[in-house]
Amino acid sequence: MELFLMAITTGVMVGGIYALVALGWVLIYKCSGVLNLAMGEMTLIGAYVSLSFYSMGVPFLLSLLISLVIGFVLGILTERIFLDKLIGEPVLTVIMVTVGLSFFFKGTVEFIWGTDTRVFAPAVFSIEPIKLGPIVVGRVYLWSFVAAIVLLFIFMGFFKYTRWGLAMQATADDEMAALSIGVSARFVYAAAWAIAFMAAGVGGTLLGNINGLNISVGYLGLLVLPAVVLGGLNSVPGAIVGGILIGILQNLCGTYLDRYFPGGVKEIAPFAFMAIFLLFKPYGLWGWERIERV
Amino acid sequence: MSTTFLPCGTYHQNYSQDHAWWQTRFIKAKMALLFLILFGLIPWQADSYWLSVCNQIGYTVLGALGVQLLIGFCGQVTLGHAAFIAVGAYTSTLLILEFPWPAVLLEWGLAYPVSILIAAVIAGFWSVLFGLPSAKVKGFYLILTTMAAQFITVDFIISQYISQIGGRGQAFSLPPGTIKIGPWVVDSDLKVYLLMLVLVIISIIGVVNLLRSRVGRAWVAIRDNDISAEVMGINVVKYKLYAFFVAGFIGGLAGAFWISNLAAISPEHFQWFWSLWLVGVILIGGVGSIHGAIFGSVFMVVVMELLQLAIMPLADSFPKLLMDFLFIKEAVFGLAICAFMIFEPNGLAYRWWQMKNYFNLWPFSY
Repeated sequence: MELFLMAITTGVMVGGIYALVALGWVLIYKCSGVLNLAMGEMTLIGAYVSLSFYSMGVPFLLSLLISLVIGFVLGILTERIFLDKLIGEPVLTVIMVTVGLSFFFKGTVEFIWGTDTRVFAPAVFSIEPIKLGPIVVGRVYLWSFVAAIVLLFIFMGFFKYTRWGLAMQATADDEMAALSIGVSARFVYAAAWAIAFMAAGVGGTLLGNINGLNISVGYLGLLVLPAVVLGGLNSVPGAIVGGILIGILQNLCGTYLDRYFPGGVKEIAPFAFMAIFLLFKPYGLWGWERIERV
Repeated sequence: MSTTFLPCGTYHQNYSQDHAWWQTRFIKAKMALLFLILFGLIPWQADSYWLSVCNQIGYTVLGALGVQLLIGFCGQVTLGHAAFIAVGAYTSTLLILEFPWPAVLLEWGLAYPVSILIAAVIAGFWSVLFGLPSAKVKGFYLILTTMAAQFITVDFIISQYISQIGGRGQAFSLPPGTIKIGPWVVDSDLKVYLLMLVLVIISIIGVVNLLRSRVGRAWVAIRDNDISAEVMGINVVKYKLYAFFVAGFIGGLAGAFWISNLAAISPEHFQWFWSLWLVGVILIGGVGSIHGAIFGSVFMVVVMELLQLAIMPLADSFPKLLMDFLFIKEAVFGLAICAFMIFEPNGLAYRWWQMKNYFNLWPFSY
């Protein structure tokens, strides 16, 4: 029972980070209709930037902030240079451009920072675990979860109460109507990419704090895909719930199935689950069902 | 891409002329020249390095052909094709290493050819298994299931279980002399090259002929609009699964062929990167044309080799460049895909088609 509770708690906490990255993904999809396969590499960039600054002696929060700023700039640049020219192109074209981007980012990251695992040194969070009743939780997990939740709320507030956030919501809801009342769609696309880049950067930094940072953190970024499919592609609450569910699923499989299928069950389970889930409910929990006509 | 126009003044008088592969004397001469170069010039003139480049091109063509069939002709986007190539490669390797072949077959050198066929069929069925979701989902969701195919097959089943068979550790190596076709042992780049040519030509002929049959027309109809196709009485699921089978079959051929060139077979050769690479190849070559698969493969392999040659002289002053060449390659490949998608979304095959039409219609281009 304790094992079960531990798996669930750790799952929820890692899931919080996935939820953060998934939020960025859904944002891009909702605002500009781009199905982004470069999310994993975006987490890598943010994580490596904040790691570099941190190892130079910059305080952790400040280096996180710097990585947010750089993520913001990179997001806008990416949108302007690559995605802006593709508005109205077929879906496959846009997806493949994001695949190309993922290669480009990954190659660049590997070239600059190498492929060895790096850790945040000195450790940002002390390794002493915290006891919540019978459950023992690593401090890193707890703080990551808190940070992810705080950021989720900041993003939510941004969408609900600021002018830019409302403009983005309007575009996501109905692009034509938003255009006609004077919202600049190009601005919204750029903002969506910038925010997604920032969210991915924070997610990557937190994930890098847990196990150290190497290229495989980018693979963890890919896990947002099962998460968003689970929640429905165009649903923000769905992304958050999906992210947390995927985190739980991953940890449960790691705890219980690893004995029977040694090896990478933990990494594969979300994708296997997603493939089966798609067969029964392709639009996810809260996604819009599209009715197709000829 | 539509068909090429015939040169001015060429008329067909019966259907067999209309259906002929090579319709004019000029095309026949051109193809004869091509075959002369492929079989007569390259094998005897090229050195071992360029032969290995050619082999790599051939392997890429075989892989890209399956992807082209799925994406370009049937509209089923796949990002997991390396999984089926891996299934082919591992089936063939395991059959050669572990299967108790009857002495007669070994003596006649039939073990490898038979294993290629079995590997291709198994890869085909494996592909159908992961194509099953296409009955229900399409577009982005299908992309996700094919991605799942990649991770489940290569990163889980093959890395964790298949690689453990026989206790050889991560990589399988084939003892020299086991890859034998009839009396010939495939042990040099030249022999691999000839095997590659035969396989590539057979598969291209097979695919092109499939495409001009009922099956191929059904695929194109599904690609263009699957709902209309269903309304017209095409069994959409059946033909989608056919497409997955044929693509997996060719992928299996590619994998089983490639083990003749690899010293050691390990899951690293079949990572997700390779699936994406194949899709990138057909996008650069041109989606929806067989030429596209070939042009894309030649372009990507040759450009990467040239890039390496260009970087070599710089290696003395910047050793990091050579060390990290793999990463530069990745970044350049990514940029190339982006650039092609933005500036030339129709790919190289489209330019080729335009060029041919220009000369065919010259001097009256209307």
